[in-house]
Amino acid sequence: MFHMLKHALSYGRPCSPILTFLGELCDDHGMILMRVPCSGGLWAAVFFMAVMSGCGGSGEDPLVVDVWHPYEMEVGDELVAALEKFEEIHPGLDVRTLFASNNLSSSQKLFLSIAGGVPPDVTFVDGPQVAEWACLGAIEPLDDYIAAAGIQEEDFWEPCWKQNIFDGRVYGLTINADPNFGFFWNKEAFREVGLDPQKPPETFEQMDRMAKQLTSVRDGRLESAGIIPWMIYGKANSLFTWGWAFGGKFFDDENNRVTADHPRVVSALEWMLSYAEQYDIRRISSLATGFGSAEQNPFFTGKIAMQPMIVYTLREIERYRPELEFGVTELPQPSGGVRNSSWVGGWCLAIPKGAKNPDDAFKVIQWLCTSPEGTTRIARALGTMPGYRKSPYLDKAGKDPRMKALIGILENSKNQRPVMPAQAYYMGELERAVDAALYGTKTPGEALRDASARTQEQLDRILARYDERQARRQVANP
Amino acid sequence: MSRSSLAMGLMFISPCLVGLLVFMLYPVAASFYFSFCDYMIFESPKFIGLDNYGELVHDPLFWTSLYNTLYYTVIAVPGGMLFAFLLALILNMRGRGMALYRTIFFLPSIIPIVASSVLWIWILNPQYGLVNMLLIRLGIPNPPGWLSDPAWSKPALILMSLWGVGGTLVIYLAALQDIPTQLYEAAELDGAHAWHKIRHITIPTASPVLFFTLIMGLITSLQYFSQAYVMTSGGPGNSTRFFAFYLFDNAFQYFRMGYASAMAWILFLVIVLLTFFVFRFTGKYVHYAGR
Repeated sequence: MFHMLKHALSYGRPCSPILTFLGELCDDHGMILMRVPCSGGLWAAVFFMAVMSGCGGSGEDPLVVDVWHPYEMEVGDELVAALEKFEEIHPGLDVRTLFASNNLSSSQKLFLSIAGGVPPDVTFVDGPQVAEWACLGAIEPLDDYIAAAGIQEEDFWEPCWKQNIFDGRVYGLTINADPNFGFFWNKEAFREVGLDPQKPPETFEQMDRMAKQLTSVRDGRLESAGIIPWMIYGKANSLFTWGWAFGGKFFDDENNRVTADHPRVVSALEWMLSYAEQYDIRRISSLATGFGSAEQNPFFTGKIAMQPMIVYTLREIERYRPELEFGVTELPQPSGGVRNSSWVGGWCLAIPKGAKNPDDAFKVIQWLCTSPEGTTRIARALGTMPGYRKSPYLDKAGKDPRMKALIGILENSKNQRPVMPAQAYYMGELERAVDAALYGTKTPGEALRDASARTQEQLDRILARYDERQARRQVANP
Repeated sequence: MSRSSLAMGLMFISPCLVGLLVFMLYPVAASFYFSFCDYMIFESPKFIGLDNYGELVHDPLFWTSLYNTLYYTVIAVPGGMLFAFLLALILNMRGRGMALYRTIFFLPSIIPIVASSVLWIWILNPQYGLVNMLLIRLGIPNPPGWLSDPAWSKPALILMSLWGVGGTLVIYLAALQDIPTQLYEAAELDGAHAWHKIRHITIPTASPVLFFTLIMGLITSLQYFSQAYVMTSGGPGNSTRFFAFYLFDNAFQYFRMGYASAMAWILFLVIVLLTFFVFRFTGKYVHYAGR
């Protein structure tokens, strides 16, 4: 407790004005304070604390590395255990972990800490947000550290490396890779409706036909669905998945153009809409209100028979429905579309701007992202795969046939969500565009045109501010 | 009062004063300034004049969120008042175990918002929820999809808000118990029926309290946020993207603090205007016994 206070107070440097202020109070009004013993005691305590906090103190311990991570419960515990192993190997370092939820919509705690000048030394960043945070100036470039450590671009899966680059510099290292997605199918459900359980759909025509067979309706209500095309980790991720399968493009890197209205992306959304129309979006939504995560995952409970899902699902099925008969394969291909259209997600590690101990922070990052032991432990802890393709974990995990299928998907993945600094905004816009199209308030073309235009505006604004800032910096340090 | 004791007094209330200045007045003033700036947290704000306000006017989501918020307010506030008032009338009757009933009706209002929201997700579940089971029993074959249907999501949230009227209910109960019984006795002697008594005694005497809850209800409803955040994330089809929700999106998801500040000031203006109109047009029906 005292240590924390000391830590907290010492951030407010220089602390002399506080001391002067307190001193004056005591000089001028000493009598009064003495007459009120309680508050006198309080003042004395505050005064004592302020003195201890370090005008004469030694400053903070240089060997502490604060790591903020977004994992709760068991996964968080395993991450902490991995970091304890790191501490064993690096006896001089004290790694302190803190759970701080951090995703596309909740990075307030981290951002406020950076703005306030008291950030952690290492933070997790969701892959598609690295460019955005780099552009905002929230994280530091790592090029010098990476060069010194001898880490090479080709050590990582291509999308995993690329997602960390903004304006020619590297701002993070990928800690885990998530092939998006494995196409999971429920063999029991296939058998029940007379489909061959060993034959998942390879084309969209087959998938549409099977979906129809696998959908069951009772008393006008849906009991289960073959597939719900917009329920793949949110509507934006769903559109990315099908958009690439149809051969669409979401972003033009060369010209910084947002292309959500690419004709093939529009086709993908039209295909999604065909399910909303055929099965009635309201009935599907009704069915979906009972869906949840973990044991309420609709794939585990048999409410959805075909579902693109992430690697971690394997572990969840093991835990919640070990008896489930299912297979994992690659995504089907639409006519005129692309084979092996999957993409890669995953998280990265970065050093926030203003971190107190960046050198040791990078040691932690390097160990977690590139060492044989670190990558293996993290892959096990998070239930995903290393972004580092030389990790020994891949050979071990590849012995399991389903895992092997997923590793194959990872090797073939060419796509990733646009690496550009308005990514969270883009996803929000796509989310709303899909929603508008499905509920019929806009046509797919209109919805995606609007999303494109609005995202472009936001992107241009962010980039213009970035350019201004860079120009100012050049003037300041020519 | 001598100058030194004034200084001493100020010093003693200084924690409160400093807190008010630093944590209320400064942020309010800063947000006013930021509303004229492009401000993305990590760099100093850049003055851009009225651009944020100009952009808002052309932002369809801004209008959608404003519409959603007004829709909710216009129905939920009077609806909640009516419901709480009727409940208060019933719970004000003499009878056995009345304290127990009062407690039961008050209880929901002390449940944390997130917990009650999650509970209501299940109550409103179109297939397995209590509400729709009841409706099906009552012979309605196709009950609404509630939170999964854009047409029913706002009514669903309004329905849920009625469940939490406990706070208002307690205020109304206190007001009802404050009405002198001789007024009712006199009215009965003159042959008044129950409705006459409510219309001519209960409502006028309780009117300052009704007025107070109307104003407070307006102010809180216009800032409606948490339930929608937990239950629907703004969907389906933006039907529950309320004003404060979209403001939050801009501030903490897209880090457009300037834009969000502009939204906050517009919300403030809307609240001021609505409150003004309510004062202007209903104020004359409010009866103050002291005057």
